[in-house]
This record gives sequence, C-alpha cells and structure tokens, in this order.
Amino acid sequence: MSRRLHIEVFRYNPLDPESKPHMQSFYVNEYDSMTLFIALNIIRDQHDPTLQFDFCCRAGICGSCGMVINGRPGLACHTQTKDLPEHIVLHPLPVFKLIGDLSVDTGVWFRDAGTRIEAWVHNDHDSFDPTQEEARMENALANEIFELDRCVECGCCIAACGTARMRTDFLGAASIARVARFYLDPRDERNVENYYEVIGNDQGVFGCMGLLACEDVCPKHIPLQDQLGIMRRMLALHSVKGILPKALIEKLAHKGCCHENHKS
Amino acid sequence: MNSSTITLHAPAKTKTQGRLDVLQMISGVLLILFLWAHMLLVSSVIIGPGVMNAIAWFFEETYMAQVGGPLIGLLIFVHFLLAARKMPWKTSESEAFIKHSVMMKHRDTWMWLAQVATALIILVMAFIHMWVVLTDLPITAVKSAARIQHGGWLPFYLVLLPIAESHVGIGFYRIGVKYGVITADNRNWYKRKEYALMGGFIVIGLITLVRFMYLPLYSGM
Repeated sequence: MSRRLHIEVFRYNPLDPESKPHMQSFYVNEYDSMTLFIALNIIRDQHDPTLQFDFCCRAGICGSCGMVINGRPGLACHTQTKDLPEHIVLHPLPVFKLIGDLSVDTGVWFRDAGTRIEAWVHNDHDSFDPTQEEARMENALANEIFELDRCVECGCCIAACGTARMRTDFLGAASIARVARFYLDPRDERNVENYYEVIGNDQGVFGCMGLLACEDVCPKHIPLQDQLGIMRRMLALHSVKGILPKALIEKLAHKGCCHENHKS
Repeated sequence: MNSSTITLHAPAKTKTQGRLDVLQMISGVLLILFLWAHMLLVSSVIIGPGVMNAIAWFFEETYMAQVGGPLIGLLIFVHFLLAARKMPWKTSESEAFIKHSVMMKHRDTWMWLAQVATALIILVMAFIHMWVVLTDLPITAVKSAARIQHGGWLPFYLVLLPIAESHVGIGFYRIGVKYGVITADNRNWYKRKEYALMGGFIVIGLITLVRFMYLPLYSGM
C-alpha cells in the first residue's frame, strides 16, 4: 500500500533578491517506516539540491529539524509519514529568523532567552576547586532535573505559542521550564525572589495565557504544562507575600504538584 | 529591561505584574461563582414564580441587589481592565494570533480568541442587562417574563446567555491550567467537566427563558 506523497514545501531565500516566498510541490514514493526527514533528503538528493532544511542527528536528539508540519510544529525526524495524510505541507517555524526554505535560526533566540533567564548555576562560592569530589544528590532528584534537561531547544513550543507569535519578547515554555530546572537544582542557590526577577513578569510566567499548545506539540514530551503551572503559582504567591495571610500562601503553595524536594 | 528602562542603571524591583495576575485570577473566580449562583437563583422560576420572587425579595430586603449589583458591575469592569492587558489590541497582534490559530487547528488556542470576543460582547451586554434590571426594582418573575415576552429582550438573552456561560466556563478551565491545578494528568477530565458545566448552565438558562416566555403575566395580579 505504498503511497505517493505530495509534499508541499515553503521556498524562500532571503539572501537572494530575486527570490519570492512561494510553495513548491514534490512527489515522493512512500516506503515502510519512512520519516519526514528521509522524505526531505530524497527530495534534496533526487529533485532539488538547493532545498534548505536543518538536520544533524536524525533521531530527535539535536532538535535541528523543527518545522511546521501540516500546521503543527514538530521534528521532521520524529514524524513518520504513515501518521500523516498523503498531502503534507511544510513551513519553517515562525517566530525564529528564517535562514532559507525550512531552515531557521533558533540559536540566537535561545541564546538571548538563556541570557535573560540567566540559565546557569548561581552561587556565592569564592572559588571552584576542580579536584574536589562533586556534591552528591539523591537519584530521584537527579532524575527530576534530567526530565527537564531533556529539552533539545528545537523551538517547537515557541513556534506553537500564540503569545510568542504576538509578542516577540515572550520567553516561552522552554525558557520557563529551564528556570524550573534550576529551581530544582540544589547547586543553584537562587531564591524565589531571584527567580521572580527573571521570569516574574509579563514576558515570563505571567505572560503565559495557558493555551497549552507547547504541551501538545513538544516532541520530547517535557512536562511543560505542569512546570508552567508550578512556576506561575510560586511566583504569583511570592508577589502577594505580606498581603495574603502566610498560612494561606503556605497552603496554596503545597497543593497539587509541587517541587517538594527543593530547599525553599 | 527594555528600551524605556535601559537608562535606569538599577531598575526598581516590582511585584506589580504578579499582583495584577493574581487580581485578574481572583476577580475572574469571583465572577465565575457569581454567574453560576445568579443562573441558579434565576432558574428558581422553573420551580415557581413564587420561589423566584421570594429570593428576589430577600436580596432586595438585605440591599444585596442594590449594593451588590453595582459592585458586580465594578468587578466586571476591573476584571476587563486586568484581562485586557493581554488582549491583542494592535492589528499586528490580532493578525498574528488569528493566523496562528488557523495554522495550528488547536482548540485551546481558538478558545482564547473566543474569550477575547466574548469578553467584549459581555462588557456591553452585561451593563445593559444590569441597567435594565437594577433601575426597575423590585425584581419579580412577572416583570422578567414581561421583558422576555415583549420589547425584544428574548434575542438579547439568547445571545448573552451562551456567551457569558462559555466565557465563564473557558475562564474556569484556563485559571486551573495557569495555576497548576489542572495538570497534564487530569486535563482531559477537567475539560470534560468544563464542557458539562458549560452545557449544563446553558440548558438551565434556556429552560428558564422558556419558562419566562410562557409565564402568564396577569394571573393573580
């Protein structure tokens, strides 16, 4: 039951003044367990060597091949053609700078976001002794941190976010989950107030409108929805400290899913 | 930091944005509870006009209608101002969001657009509704029925009822999502519950309207 796939690809080269954005159709014979990544390589090998798209690992690890597949952001290498209709429409991820065709520059965006959320371990240590044994942590906690560290920064959650599309300064789910990762990490000695300073605003947690497209498209199934909820509640409660009774804040902070492991 | 604060070497720490978010949530929760209670109280006319009249009498005797009514109006306006901070007022924003919703075919994304549209309609219609009812106290089942049967108020309520109930239902779900009460695990359960609540209240409202349509206006007067 091999199908002949009709793959419609967005074509535009911003560096070529002659180039105009348009859609171009390609036809590829489908075979068993074909991924979109394979189909695109066939197009580049057999139909048009100028087709630009990014890839590296072909296994959902590098996060390079994020693109809009029939309207939904996803990884080409992670998407099997058998799960798609015969007619496949591909666009580059919105929000990010277009390099050409399906290739976008997610790096600059994530670099900027990483700087804004200060995505590194903060502490007051005077010096770092590389010979000393690393501080130990519980395996369960390490796993919890790793769960969030699995983000490959493919940009799908950002491209799927209605807020990020409207407002270019919105940090998006990947960045907020990244702060959540540091919040869990006992080596990061920032307190709630420090986290509030980086994401306690309308560009961070309070800008999120709960559309949940990030959660629904994340190819790595990172628990974005839960992390956004945890961080927003924590920082919202922090903002009303001294206004609402302490007991109430304490109670609300520990309701439902929470980072119970974290030193507070 | 942005271009307007870049010259301030040490921008002041502020908790304003968090507090506004909390206020938006609290005003939303209060209005959700109010609207559900309001719907249930008005629907008492289904049991009998006497029950509705007694409830209305209680709320007027205790001045809850006279004072509470305008306060709810104020709350609606405050909630609108707070939520409007996120609305796509710029053409570029609304264009981007609509294009995005069409591209994604994602229900939760479309639902936000529905929230924006219903909010604006409610803002106008709720104030008309409040004005008409509160400037004509006391509230009685017969007066409400007369409004539905004459004067063209039936289409007005046929629009306001589903719009207000959907706005409240979607808002209820959205608050749960934003504050981590609705998690990935129980999201579908809450979503079903939200649809059931929304549908339930709209049905109760429609039955109430039908009751008003057929309530005899002159019996016993």
